[in-house]
Amino acid sequence: MRQPQTHPSLIVRLKDRRNEPAWAEFLCAYEPFLWQLVRRQGTPERHVADITQQLLMAVARSLDGWRDDGQAASFRRWLSRVARNVVIKFMTRERRQVTGQGGTDFLEQLEGQPDLAESERLQGLYEHELIVWAAHEVRGDFRETSWQAFWATQIEGKGVAEVAAELGISPGSIYMSRSRILARIREKIDDAM
Amino acid sequence: MSLNSDACDHDLLRLSLDDRLSEQQEDALARHLTECTNCQCELARLAGSDADWSKVSLALKYEAESACGAGNATRATTPRTERDEDDADDSSADFAVDFLEPSSAPQTLGRLADIDILEVIGRGGMGVVLKGYQAELKRLVAVKVLAPHLAVSAAARKRFAREAQAAAAILHPNVMPILTVHSGGKLPYLVMPFLACESLEQRIARDGPLPLVDLLRIGMQSAQGLAAAHAQGIVHRDVKPANILLDLGVDRVMLTDFGLARAIDDASITRTGLIAGTPQYMSPEQARGEPLDARSDLFSLGSVLYAMAAGRPPFRAETSYGILRRITDSDPRPVREINEEIPTWLAAIIDKMLAKAPADRLESAQRVAAILEQCLAHVQQPTLAPLPDFCRARRPPRWLTVPLVICCATVALVAAFLLWPGSIDRPAAPASDSAASDPSPAGSVPTADNSTPRMPVGSATEWDAVADQLDQLDRDGRVFETRNQREWDRLPIPLPPETNSDSDLISRPHLENDP
Repeated sequence: MRQPQTHPSLIVRLKDRRNEPAWAEFLCAYEPFLWQLVRRQGTPERHVADITQQLLMAVARSLDGWRDDGQAASFRRWLSRVARNVVIKFMTRERRQVTGQGGTDFLEQLEGQPDLAESERLQGLYEHELIVWAAHEVRGDFRETSWQAFWATQIEGKGVAEVAAELGISPGSIYMSRSRILARIREKIDDAM
Repeated sequence: MSLNSDACDHDLLRLSLDDRLSEQQEDALARHLTECTNCQCELARLAGSDADWSKVSLALKYEAESACGAGNATRATTPRTERDEDDADDSSADFAVDFLEPSSAPQTLGRLADIDILEVIGRGGMGVVLKGYQAELKRLVAVKVLAPHLAVSAAARKRFAREAQAAAAILHPNVMPILTVHSGGKLPYLVMPFLACESLEQRIARDGPLPLVDLLRIGMQSAQGLAAAHAQGIVHRDVKPANILLDLGVDRVMLTDFGLARAIDDASITRTGLIAGTPQYMSPEQARGEPLDARSDLFSLGSVLYAMAAGRPPFRAETSYGILRRITDSDPRPVREINEEIPTWLAAIIDKMLAKAPADRLESAQRVAAILEQCLAHVQQPTLAPLPDFCRARRPPRWLTVPLVICCATVALVAAFLLWPGSIDRPAAPASDSAASDPSPAGSVPTADNSTPRMPVGSATEWDAVADQLDQLDRDGRVFETRNQREWDRLPIPLPPETNSDSDLISRPHLENDP
């Protein structure tokens, strides 16, 4: 148990030393995501670093609760779950703060469990943040025309042939690059999760 | 099946996802894909399930629409702009303004007890700072309101009040006074005098490294403020440039936010957990989550001195985890490598304060203040005020230095002479000589031998030994510090009254060096 007077820290001595590389790897992949998420939640720029670190510390504090379930990547999966819970709680709080609710109502809501619909909505919000972040991250890995083709056909719903003509590329290369982009986005999310 | 002559190739599709096709393969596959709907579907399936495709597309579409309505590919996946940040700033202040009572006075945001709140002047990690006016006392005040997420339980609020009251008991010119602590209402708050000031953080960001005199003055006054707190058993826990305020107009430094980091820690421990502080100025024991004492503040103050000298904090990394690792595991880049105008004695003081083990640091804030005060006097009045003993003790006595340097130089010269292959034994080695004259001797090694570095076999350990010696001497500051000391020695330092012949040599070495 942690004594109240000790500072929690990102440098944790894990019960199971084998997990330390996994923890370091998680931080490398997850911190950039958190950084953007905290910023997008409306945190003033100069507090982004503080809050990001605070959230990571909250995750770090739960590390001793891990039990090996014998399945593959047990620690990593558990870590993702803890991180998701911490972030979702943070988003709840931020949202309430932004809507201007303070005082006792605010406190009661924070203590109580969100109802099922609310919980699903938050899960969705979390997923949304991950996707937007991952897309932002991988975008630079692709040629501009590839990204435009992906965007026009997949997000704006234009036809492949039409876009191919507009951009002066072959329809086949659009199929290829948009699949690559989706695969990279998924890969990026998996790394952080 | 495709009408194209190319056959469908599952492996090729997989490789194309990883972008591992040759240009020819890629062109061929693009042609094939244009025609073959089977392969189009198959490739899409390999990239992700239908659910994956629709989730990603919907998320990006929603994002694009909510970003600015332009549906522009660029906007949707770029970070928010300055305009968005301003909006965020406004909304995050809501909680502080919301909890005010309405005020009858015009031009005010609201009222808090007897204070008319005029404006929001800042937002710290722990809450919001408001500017207010106490009509009865006719004075401006700064009100620090704890953020709602930190004021979650009665225990947390009590803790905040207790720490603030303890801090309020520190009466010292270099500690920001706390006029009132209020923990009864919805959100706890502190009332402090309103001062026109900037933080050291702002100053460093604007001006970069500070002039030596300012650095010493700010360091000294901060140490004095810390000493006053430590005397009452209060550890600051969050000493950093943002918490060091520079009173505009007068040369006064004030520390703020005493002990509040701790109160916030406790508040956060009861819930998901939020603790204060960017980690850049944390001490190693803090980074490791170990119990702290006053010496942790001294490490942080050392980091602040470093930041004033170098224009940036000593430990930097991309991630906060990386910063903490550096704090616990590695030495910062020597400050004089970044700013060569920093005297060696100041670099030595900073190094000492940044010792990883608390026991290796200077023993108290009081000692730090005393040393910096003497240094300041010395810099302002070199002829009247000597450097403190601590700084001089770092240098070896002059009667030892000169022989040492001579000795060391001799060792190096002799070693170089003996070990340099061309110096003694090479003329006596005919094989090498012939090799040198013949560019391509058949079946012989000497060409390699002739190329630099020409090190005789078996000398590696000797080289290492010499290198070690030099390194050791350098680390003790005996080789390179002398060069720098000469500059200091040019300043005529008066002899202390109780001088003897040895200290005479210490203070007036130029007599020896000058011809």
